[in-house]
Amino acid sequence: MKSLVKRIEIETQHGTETINITETIQHIVAESGLQNGLVLVSSLHTTTAITVNEGLPDIESDILAMMEKVAPSEGIYRHARFLPSDGQMAVNASSHLQSAMLGFQCLFPLENGRMVIGGRQTIFFVELDGPQLRTYIVQVLGE
Amino acid sequence: MIVDFHTHPIMIKELIEEDPPLLQSIEKVFGFCFAAQPLSIFIKEMDEAGVDEAVLLPLDCSSSFQRTVVSNQQVARLCEKSDRFIGFASIDPRQPDALSQLEHDIRNYGLVGLKLNPALQGFYPNDKEIAYPVYHLCAELSIPIMVHCGLSWAPAGKSRFANPLFLEDVAQDFPQLRIIIGHFGWPWVNEALILGLKYPNVYLDTAILYCGTPAQSFQKVLVEQVGLLVIERGLHNKVLFGSDYPRVDMRRSVRAIKNLGLSEDIGAKIFGLNACNLLGIGKEAK
Repeated sequence: MKSLVKRIEIETQHGTETINITETIQHIVAESGLQNGLVLVSSLHTTTAITVNEGLPDIESDILAMMEKVAPSEGIYRHARFLPSDGQMAVNASSHLQSAMLGFQCLFPLENGRMVIGGRQTIFFVELDGPQLRTYIVQVLGE
Repeated sequence: MIVDFHTHPIMIKELIEEDPPLLQSIEKVFGFCFAAQPLSIFIKEMDEAGVDEAVLLPLDCSSSFQRTVVSNQQVARLCEKSDRFIGFASIDPRQPDALSQLEHDIRNYGLVGLKLNPALQGFYPNDKEIAYPVYHLCAELSIPIMVHCGLSWAPAGKSRFANPLFLEDVAQDFPQLRIIIGHFGWPWVNEALILGLKYPNVYLDTAILYCGTPAQSFQKVLVEQVGLLVIERGLHNKVLFGSDYPRVDMRRSVRAIKNLGLSEDIGAKIFGLNACNLLGIGKEAK
């Protein structure tokens, strides 16, 4: 079994946004030359998410609006204090909680050299505390 | 127009790549331990926050830490890369060449003010031997000084040097020198308030480092402790918006000030007009 891991950097533009990364991942899968196995997409951060849904602007907007309702930016949280380990004020508890709810990974089967993804499925990198330079990884695992 | 009067151009990837020991100094002096970001992200952060211009504050702590974080030259180079940056200088008042360096850097690098951090530079702001010659020169050069006041979160910072009341002597002895009390002096807010209310040459910035989000900090300090009426009546020309980026989030700081409930005209002064007045740029507040 072979494993290919690729790190992708992305400069996000806004405080919150959804970024369609499906084509980038399909390109990495094709380049890997592997035929059968798994494709893992994983964010390296705790205030971003990876999620899969239909690639429609209204859905993308609804996802972000829902996250704001579930963990409002101006809510009262314990994570709102000076962090000696960072040297920064912790002001982004809602971003962490939204990330925790959306999750940071997705996994797809790899079959005959192609990622098995539904026709309406789109893979999104979700920024929840931007703009920042972010990194996610794509691992293609198989034969 | 929004001017962020209190930003630190550190943790910028390009600066660290050209000066690798800078990263260690940033960690040692400021206690910052997070990923550096490209300069483009600093500008995107300004865009997202609605900030038009940002004052960049370097720090020369040669006596205490044997280096600058960052240097005046580095600030000048950043200002060349974007006309949205306004550069301040920093010199270490305890260094023998402080005055000549300040004069040189102000006259040659296009820098328009001086940043001092007594807590990290290790001097009392009313020290006549160490600090007063610097104030004389700043008055002569007609540049404002921004003085860190209040709690120093920096690991090696000594807050005892940063009580804003030390600046009362300076405000009296240098009436022509414009003095900005950084961080609203928190937690010495009442002391900062005394100076801001009384002395025409004393200003306060909103980079308040309270224990919470910007919204909670401003609510606690500006609304509950100081009172919006006091700000609107007595400090409307004296308060400058500042975030303390990247120690505090710029975007959330802007939003929190907008949500305070200030009158529109006073909000406009705090966000930008007072800064323009102070620096002699753009439209003046009346």
